[in-house]
Amino acid sequence: MILTVLSSLVVIFSQYFYLGKQWNLMEYLNNWFQISYAVALALGFVNLTVIHWKNIQRKREGWVFSIILLLTMYGYLIVGLAEWSFEGPIFGWIYENIMAALSAAIFSMVAFFITSAAYRAFRVRTKEATILLVCAVLVMLGRAPIGDAIWKSWLGGWSGFVNQWMMGTLNMAAMRAITLGAYVGGFATALRIMLGLERAHIGGTGTQ
Amino acid sequence: MMWLIAQGEAKAVWGIFAEGALVDFFIVLALAVLVWVMIARARTGRKIPTIKKVAGLEAVDEAIGRATEMGRPVTFIPGIQSIDNPQTLAALGIIAHVSRQCARYDTRFLALTCDPLPYAVIEEITRQAYLEEGRPDAFNPDDVRFLSAEQFAFCGACIGIFERERPAANIMVGSFYAESLILAETGSFQGMIQIGGTANTHQLPFFVAACDYALIGEEIYAASAYLSKEPVMYGTVVGQDILKIAIWLLILVGCIWATIDPSTTWLKSLLKN
Repeated sequence: MILTVLSSLVVIFSQYFYLGKQWNLMEYLNNWFQISYAVALALGFVNLTVIHWKNIQRKREGWVFSIILLLTMYGYLIVGLAEWSFEGPIFGWIYENIMAALSAAIFSMVAFFITSAAYRAFRVRTKEATILLVCAVLVMLGRAPIGDAIWKSWLGGWSGFVNQWMMGTLNMAAMRAITLGAYVGGFATALRIMLGLERAHIGGTGTQ
Repeated sequence: MMWLIAQGEAKAVWGIFAEGALVDFFIVLALAVLVWVMIARARTGRKIPTIKKVAGLEAVDEAIGRATEMGRPVTFIPGIQSIDNPQTLAALGIIAHVSRQCARYDTRFLALTCDPLPYAVIEEITRQAYLEEGRPDAFNPDDVRFLSAEQFAFCGACIGIFERERPAANIMVGSFYAESLILAETGSFQGMIQIGGTANTHQLPFFVAACDYALIGEEIYAASAYLSKEPVMYGTVVGQDILKIAIWLLILVGCIWATIDPSTTWLKSLLKN
């Protein structure tokens, strides 16, 4: 708890006070954070190894995948250590041609999930859902070339207005309100942690 | 202190404050005073304003109850950012409550993390929760999992766990990005009761569409105070609400002033300090 309070005071000093900025205190704090991160990463590595080793030992469902995971993880670690560079030929090739492709494959699933989520969200069941549907259709039409063609024949030079007004005025106002509230909430959370009212970050289960 | 001397090129305001930090500092100070006043009122038993009911937070215990009845696990995903992100810190407060409830009702609790720092902290929180509920033997360290530091590898691992473990409830609170919809939709297809919360406005629509309950922006920060049901903690939320009202008023004054006199710059210059 003492460490939390001291660290908070150092952050406040480094952010708001002239000497804190002049001494670049945040840089030192960031370095400490990176070191802690590296230590914690080792913990994560151990956790993955233990869980998947147990899976293999007890032949749990999908234990073959645990073998693949461990082989891949340790194999990639060995390649990285052997080449001693993020841009080594084998290390880089694996990242570019396997990791990036697999990530892109999972990311591409978002397109399908957007369709199913939109279907549920836009079903006309309530007054609010109806308003949502109408607004969504107007914005989608405003963003697609076919919409522009339709609006132009009806509204001429005003064709982009509905879409722009909805996104720039209605949507932006709501987004900024949420963001502002979140910043103030973040402030309050930081203060609760600093005052020791909230202790979850040091492994406690609760509040004061 | 020799190693700290004159490394940056900061400018001073009033001789002590960093340039551009003066107004920020006084806002932080105002919030600290407000929170302190509210805490003092709560401690002396005086009345503090009440805070509205948050459906998403009321549903947390309901979700755990449902999982308990079905004999299936509860999963918790604290976003994909590290512990230096305030949303992750807010999630830790909720994890403390959820893990205690799960320990109390003998429901399996699975925490899935994408970052090693929250992983280490969550393991400690969960261990402590089981200990406080008098069931240290029921705590299984393998149920707090670090899956991957890569966003989509983590996402794929979560989907796999949803398929294999078939949780009855899924709580996702923290900083989410493109993986939010994939996780929420997979959970929805599996019929889980889902509570999603984030302050990332670009992901909020996905949680609203795919989850049963959504915690919007600041609600995640109020969660630990709300769930604790302690007047002192409520006081801190009331303090932040008062500051928020003051900021709205400032915005309103700014809008009116800028409408009446568009050439005015004094408010902008003042806030730049």
